[in-house]
Amino acid sequence: MDYFKTRITRMEIPARDHAILRFSGDRPVDGEPGQFVMVRGNWGAHPILPRAFSLVEVGKEGAILVRNVGEGTNLLASMEQGDELLVLGPLGRGFSLPSETGGGVALVAGGVGVAPLVFLAQRLADKGIKPVFLYGARTGDDLPLRDQIGGICDLTITTEDGSVGEKGLVTAPLERFLQTNPTASVFSCGPEAMLEAVARVSVEAGARCQVALESPMACGMGTCKGCAILDAAGEYRYVCTDGPAFESVEIFGREP
Amino acid sequence: MSDILAVQLGSLRLANPIITASGTFGYGVEYADFMDVSRLGGISVKGISLEPRVGNPPPRVCETPGGMLNSIGLANIGYDAFVDRTMPVLRQMGATVIVNIYGTSHDEFAQLARRFDTVEGVAALEVNISCPNVKEGGIHFGVSGKSASGVTRAVREVTSLPVIVKLSPEALDLPDIGKAVQDAGADAISMINTFRGMSIDVETRKPRLGAVMGGLSGPAIRPLAVRMVYQVYQAVNIPIIGMGGIACLRDVLEFFLAGASAVQVGTANFTDPTIAVKIVDELEEYCVARGIRPADLVGKVEVGEAK
Repeated sequence: MDYFKTRITRMEIPARDHAILRFSGDRPVDGEPGQFVMVRGNWGAHPILPRAFSLVEVGKEGAILVRNVGEGTNLLASMEQGDELLVLGPLGRGFSLPSETGGGVALVAGGVGVAPLVFLAQRLADKGIKPVFLYGARTGDDLPLRDQIGGICDLTITTEDGSVGEKGLVTAPLERFLQTNPTASVFSCGPEAMLEAVARVSVEAGARCQVALESPMACGMGTCKGCAILDAAGEYRYVCTDGPAFESVEIFGREP
Repeated sequence: MSDILAVQLGSLRLANPIITASGTFGYGVEYADFMDVSRLGGISVKGISLEPRVGNPPPRVCETPGGMLNSIGLANIGYDAFVDRTMPVLRQMGATVIVNIYGTSHDEFAQLARRFDTVEGVAALEVNISCPNVKEGGIHFGVSGKSASGVTRAVREVTSLPVIVKLSPEALDLPDIGKAVQDAGADAISMINTFRGMSIDVETRKPRLGAVMGGLSGPAIRPLAVRMVYQVYQAVNIPIIGMGGIACLRDVLEFFLAGASAVQVGTANFTDPTIAVKIVDELEEYCVARGIRPADLVGKVEVGEAK
């Protein structure tokens, strides 16, 4: 973990209300798929808290995907090349990569939850593994990073309004995939209701499922105890240090 | 570093007057990867209770204008784990450790104080009678002079460590509480803890915190805290450790002028985890350039005569 100053090297608007921020500093940006960074621009006193984002790319440049949902994210999305970005990271526990992928791999994304899964897809591609990538969103305007997926994964898109890809929820193609690949490794990130559904169909099929969660947090490194979530055993777990990636059964249990 | 920044708080001597506030800097050990925490005047660690505590239902934090609300509920690893696992690391790091203690009764506070009395490397105890996020103890001890003085005395009687009592802004009469804890044997006062606040999501119509209400911190409360330090300074003879929204050197100087002999940096640690050490450097530069010590500024606000 490190805390360091970077500058924005490139801004990109990949979809309505989204921005990809690329940044670099005097040292490489480190991290594994599912890990995150806390970032803040040099914008004075307000908003005071940094914001947490999954890493999309690491290396000389790091990249994050920002969805504009409020004051902090709007400030980040309106940054320009050369602007200062303070970075704390890499933080948290990322996905645990399977040592054996003979049963197949499915990456299941919902909206902006695509971010850590694009990073994971790249890591899998480096190992010669081509997973299926099931990407669900509300509409065809909510599919950032889709262009980075097609070349390295078998991509299926679902939208709730049917404007792009299959009409419906992302769990439909997942269920089809699991019928032929019941021992697959499933990795998912997206809204909580989607994660719960993905976990349910995966576990029912006999697949291992990991989910990456989000929570409001202040420190990102285990000190404020602000990002507690209740796990399947009724215990509090901290998204920033116990996660963000968890085995789905830890969070949602085994029962449907 | 020279000793120009050294401060004496009763029997507690600190290399400089910049302390990280309890609850905003964990146990200090988490920061070792990217900063030297031994350069801080002190670390007031996350509140420790006899037994571990799991804390309140989520969500536990939300941002508000110029600040944040938290309803953590004193989630902590408990006395045994802290002493066995964390203290050895803090000693090795050379940190100046102020242990913030929390109990639900006089007896629990006394037990904690007695047990910490013999733990190597503890510089002082900070008695938390001001947490707004717990059902028992906490703020309830801090709102009247009688209860505040009872807890202070219970701790004072069983430890030779410097005792700092952390006050709540919700006390009916803060100067009165300050005098009460001074008379009960406190070496210093730290003030102030958070104000109870609430924020509602107008779309869902639900409170933004799982515990409904939480403690407000950050620059939003700074003028309130400065006013309270100013008032208590008039009433007591023991040193005050001021806090409430401190985010830069200017804010530290403001608290000194109001009457604080040292300060704690809290919410700003989330904005920039290295901010407290940066403020130490800035304060040293400020004092060296002017040939003064922090103590020269304490209580020196020039109010003037009423017209």
